[in-house]
Amino acid sequence: MSLRALWIIFYDKGENASVRFSRRFSTVEHRAKIMAGSSYVAVPEDRILLKLLLTELGLSSPNKPYVADRDDCLYRPRSPAVELRLNGKATLWPVLAISQGPLILACLPLVDIPSEPRPPLASLLSVSQGLTFLAGLQTFVLGSGGKLDREGLDSRVAMLPPLLLQVCPLGTPLDTIPLAGTPTAPTAPTSTVTQKQPAWKTGLYRGRASVNVAVVETVRSMQYGNQSRQDTWDVYGTVTCKCEVEGVLPNVTVTLTLPPNGSPLQDILVHPCVTSLDSSILTTSSVDGADGSAFSGPYKFPFSPPLEPFRLCSYTSQVPVPPILGSYQLKAEENNLRVSVSLKLHESVKNSFEYCEAHLPFFNRNQMAVADVKVSSGQLDVSKEKNLLVWALGQKFPKSREVTLDGKITFSGSSRGPSDPLCTGLTAYIKLYLRVPDTTLSGCCVDQHSVQVYSSAKPRISTCKSRAMISKHFLCFYPYVKLKVVSLCGPQPENFSPKSTTSGIQLAQPPCPPDRW
Amino acid sequence: MATNWTERIRAFCCSPSGFLTETSPDTFLSELLRELRDDRVSYGVKVLLLSPLCEYPTLLCSSESAGEETALDLMSVFTQCPSRFSQFRCHLLVALTGVLVCSSCVNGHSRAALDFLDLLLRMARDASDPPGEGTRRLLRATACDCLREMEASCPGLLSQRLELLAGLRQLETSRLHQAFGVLQILALRNAVYQLTKQAGAGAAHLKALLGGNGSVAWEADQEAVHMDATDAAMLSSLILGPMGRVPTLHTGPDCKELRSVLSSLLEESYLLTPLCQAALFHRLTEVVAMVPGIPPAVFRAQLLRLLGTNEVCLLHVTLLMKCGFTDSLFSAEDEAFLLKRLVVLSQHPLLSSPEKLFYMDCILHFPENRPISCGDSDEAPPVLLTPQLASVLLPSVFNDSATLLSRLNLQALVFLEEGDEESRGLAYIYDHLAALLHIVDRGGSRDIVVTFFRAAFLFLFYFHHVERYATCLSEQLCHLYLQHTRLAPHILNLVNQTQERLPECKWFVGLLQGLQRVITRVPFGQLPLHDLSSHLKVLDRVAEEEEICQRSSLCFLSTIVTQTSSSLCTSGDWRLGNGLLGVCRRVLLHPNLDSMLIPLADILQHLAFHYGDTDIRDHARLYYTFLTMLSREKLSAVLVQSAAEGGGQVKKRTLSCVMAESEGLTNTLTVHQTEKPIFQLTEALPGPHQEAENLQLNQEDEYKTLECYRAQFSKSGFASLIVLKYHLTHTEPHDPRFEQLFSIQLHFSLTDDHYEELQDISVPCLFRQGPPPVVQLTLKPRRPYPTTIHASAIFTSKDGLTWHTAMPDIHVAFQQVFLPLPAPPTWSRASTRDVFECLWDEMRHETGESCISLFCCQLGEAALKALVEKHFHSFLVPDPLEEAAEFRALLFLPPKSHMLLKIGSTEDAAHFNMATDDCRLLPQMNSYLLKVTSSLENSVS
Repeated sequence: MSLRALWIIFYDKGENASVRFSRRFSTVEHRAKIMAGSSYVAVPEDRILLKLLLTELGLSSPNKPYVADRDDCLYRPRSPAVELRLNGKATLWPVLAISQGPLILACLPLVDIPSEPRPPLASLLSVSQGLTFLAGLQTFVLGSGGKLDREGLDSRVAMLPPLLLQVCPLGTPLDTIPLAGTPTAPTAPTSTVTQKQPAWKTGLYRGRASVNVAVVETVRSMQYGNQSRQDTWDVYGTVTCKCEVEGVLPNVTVTLTLPPNGSPLQDILVHPCVTSLDSSILTTSSVDGADGSAFSGPYKFPFSPPLEPFRLCSYTSQVPVPPILGSYQLKAEENNLRVSVSLKLHESVKNSFEYCEAHLPFFNRNQMAVADVKVSSGQLDVSKEKNLLVWALGQKFPKSREVTLDGKITFSGSSRGPSDPLCTGLTAYIKLYLRVPDTTLSGCCVDQHSVQVYSSAKPRISTCKSRAMISKHFLCFYPYVKLKVVSLCGPQPENFSPKSTTSGIQLAQPPCPPDRW
Repeated sequence: MATNWTERIRAFCCSPSGFLTETSPDTFLSELLRELRDDRVSYGVKVLLLSPLCEYPTLLCSSESAGEETALDLMSVFTQCPSRFSQFRCHLLVALTGVLVCSSCVNGHSRAALDFLDLLLRMARDASDPPGEGTRRLLRATACDCLREMEASCPGLLSQRLELLAGLRQLETSRLHQAFGVLQILALRNAVYQLTKQAGAGAAHLKALLGGNGSVAWEADQEAVHMDATDAAMLSSLILGPMGRVPTLHTGPDCKELRSVLSSLLEESYLLTPLCQAALFHRLTEVVAMVPGIPPAVFRAQLLRLLGTNEVCLLHVTLLMKCGFTDSLFSAEDEAFLLKRLVVLSQHPLLSSPEKLFYMDCILHFPENRPISCGDSDEAPPVLLTPQLASVLLPSVFNDSATLLSRLNLQALVFLEEGDEESRGLAYIYDHLAALLHIVDRGGSRDIVVTFFRAAFLFLFYFHHVERYATCLSEQLCHLYLQHTRLAPHILNLVNQTQERLPECKWFVGLLQGLQRVITRVPFGQLPLHDLSSHLKVLDRVAEEEEICQRSSLCFLSTIVTQTSSSLCTSGDWRLGNGLLGVCRRVLLHPNLDSMLIPLADILQHLAFHYGDTDIRDHARLYYTFLTMLSREKLSAVLVQSAAEGGGQVKKRTLSCVMAESEGLTNTLTVHQTEKPIFQLTEALPGPHQEAENLQLNQEDEYKTLECYRAQFSKSGFASLIVLKYHLTHTEPHDPRFEQLFSIQLHFSLTDDHYEELQDISVPCLFRQGPPPVVQLTLKPRRPYPTTIHASAIFTSKDGLTWHTAMPDIHVAFQQVFLPLPAPPTWSRASTRDVFECLWDEMRHETGESCISLFCCQLGEAALKALVEKHFHSFLVPDPLEEAAEFRALLFLPPKSHMLLKIGSTEDAAHFNMATDDCRLLPQMNSYLLKVTSSLENSVS
């Protein structure tokens, strides 16, 4: 349940990867030595470790098409725990590594059960603890988001030692690295209080009580406009809270409710500050077949809030229809491409957007020269790189709830646009970005009156304003070339997205009907 | 000292081994400790100075005694440090823990460790912290963590303090209760474990343990703590599988005290951070597993909370709990729920990719209540994981590569379990593989290419017996290869790995045949030259297979070399030529060579006459000669490399010209590293010092004598060298590979800057039987101090391989630096005497670096005489009065230091009067004298 060592690596396209921070925990290493006995493998020095780790993550020698050590087909990187092959037969395992953009965070958990034969990862508590710790470290290092450069990283790293002294002085983490900027509120006099302060609460709040609850749902969909392939969509929601309530361990209860006939919330995950759960809340799962008898609320979440904003719970939901139905047609004509798109907003969805944009990227072609395209509503732009049409639909669909785009595009620009192995020929996609405030697709909401705070002062509670539906990777495909099989019935193609280079978050496949076969 | 410590510490932490070659660990440690004690150094820097001690205590304190000394030093720094520097004090506690634990002081119960433990307990108990002031709390929290680490490293250390710890936790209302909580449960777990190992221990013992009075003096507890430091089992987690493996303590149902401790810990578990909660539950699970008197149901109240959590470590500890208690805590319903939960989590959109992958791993090692297979570490899907349930984890081309491969693996295992080759699931997987292949075909990135080949291997690994798909894959691969010949290394890698990992599967032969077919059918006109090199590599591999007929390969070769439009021969590309020869060479070894004799001979002959590169022409001619002249047996004897066998390597060297480009060469061209030293330098016994020639020549004025002597030093390089003789000998135990060694190049590197860099030394050969060669090491001192020299060597072994080996360090002792007075050869004894007198007079005044000193020891006259004879004979200066009971010795230490000795004895004591012009030599001289006299004293007594 301890870590032997910890590393922060900055990886800039392979040329100048460097270890920006490393920490070895000598006493844990001492235990590792005793426990492993003759099979003990010492932690190598940073520069050796860096080389091995990059090889293992497939990042070394980026310009060579094939490197035996890196690309052997036998080897399956069992991420998140990789095995570093040192000289000879010795291997260092399990090195947990998570990477995001140019940042690689790694740690080596202590294997606290006999290491011969190699135990499964699942039997080492230190692995999940290491993952939690690394995730916290990642949040800390990435800070307020934005792009991470070397200087930015170094300045964050410089703040680490005192924080590590607090949460993990000797390699056994007590907590994740606290977020920078988390206010450490002054602790109120506790002499009269017998209640223990939770270790995850950095201080006590004093002032007017207020509870802020926001529900945000995200919808993902893939539509093929094709009888042979089933369209897919899914919805997942998160409930975030910011509570300012006095007391060491105040009690707050938030209740989620669904409209009558609403499909039940599934796969509910809760924050550890939730004190108790009703078993019926947990039983509905997206992997079960839809069951009419499933529990459909109200969903009560009693908890004692931490000081900082937190995600109280998350859920998924199976809604009967996608909010927008799209169709996309491409036709190759002499020298140009005929494009026609129609998007139809479902009648159940509120016709009031914060924003709604459709992106039509074109791959494996030259730049656009002429785009003679008309839209029935909204505004059309060609991106600076001339490989993307951006169709801004504004705040509202017209009364008919349907918009169309028609026209011809000539690709005779001088330079070649981006390439993509999937979008060849006439295979292409549209990506929709939209946000509808004050609505959720599942109908899930938090009633202001249902929020209970057991506190002397009457709290200010705000909920409604922060209900929203946003889309993430909402796609309509035009699969002219029938891609073999699966490829398109999966989830959002992360690697399609022109924005994917900055996001880098990989999302899983949406739940699909279990009887697909 | 204006040393830039930030830089030095960074250099150390970057590469401790590299840093320590420049200085010694002891020196560095003493520098660190000196700086830590220095009041002028800021506390910010001092925190930095502690980091080597925190991270690498074993490097700096190699022995228990060194660790103890360092710890005592650090403790004194701690007591002197003002309390407002809490950060530094915390770091000091961490460093102390590191030093004491790693140098085994804690296990050895050394004085320092006991003192430190006392200090920590005192600090932990000190609740006088005014509320709202965080500094003291930080110190207490660190002290708690140090205690926990010491308990973890030396289980049972706090087993007599359980009541104290419980009390501390219960009284604490600040966030510190968490630190006490995790400390308490760890100590409790270790104490219970110790009890289980004691024969006859029961409820009463447990009760006594829990009521263990904290006021008992530490020393009294020592008896109780007899933990064997090497008892790795005690450090290990106990949750491995079914409860059977856990040692148990039979208490009967009555263990009220333990029950109340556990329930109090469980009640407050909610107040801990998720990481600590996970640790707490894990330890609690162990305790409950060891004490059957406590039902696992105590956890039930917490279960729902844990099952609904979004924290990976909390759900994981629940799984471990299930692993430990199986159906005594988890019903069949719970089990089904938990598995479904894992499946959901493995693809939950809000979780990070590493977490999802981890959950997938958990599915494959799901702790079932009634496992069918015995709990080995192999991956196996649980019975409850039906293909339908698993279908949400189907791979998709939009997955990242790690997810994709994990999902593919999981699905393969599920379908394998199902055992239906015609299932739609298997078809789905194959279709998925084909989709990946399409992406590769359309120019997927390197990552996708690698992922595809890994997926292909996984597929073959599980389903190579399903002929339909295997054949289909083989065909598609051939097609893919033809479109993208750059994929040759990947494909050959797949071929080799399937051959090696699936010995009974002949799929790879089919693939190779297919490749041969597509390559040889390419019309010659459409063959780009850059593809040719890949084709030749593939054909080379194809020709290795005895079952594959090589006729079409030869036709292909013949076409490309003989076509008149071919620019191949005229271009004379050496690489391509070598590729061609490589294939020919393989065919020469092929069992069906007889049937291919003529086409092969034609190709070789054509190459021998028309190829544009001389080397290739020569080789082709040689192969042609082999082919036409040698019988099959001889041919294979010449060509087959009896790889890596002793005798074979000689052949490899002499016949290197018969080798194909790809084989063996790298072996001979690489410098290999020996595992341990092969030979060493041992000091050759010094021959008799050359007697100074005793020429009674012109007596000079005594002042002039000294000037004359000093004048010599103006010549550069005068008397500045020390020559040390060593024998180069094999180390034991001997390795038969290294019986005879040649062309040995010895390389020396210094560990300090007291000497000038050393030249490399060449030794022509070294045989085990035979006189050891003498190696003369010529040292040029800057300062005449003892030193250690790292040595390494490069040499050639009998089989022609080149080796690099590290050699044992050479230690140059102080006395090895002694030289007789470098007087001109023409000088008389009297002149030497004069120099001695003059020097002594000068040094007596202790100006500059000069000083005098006295060393006394218990030594009889005879013994003293023997000692002088033995150690100082060649440095003696003749006395004017031969009878005087005083020896005079003059030691010259290059480059220009002197050590003068007047040795005499009074009654039982021997006096060594010393005078020197470099006072820094005195400590060295002192320890040398101590050494030589004590050995004599011992032998006398």
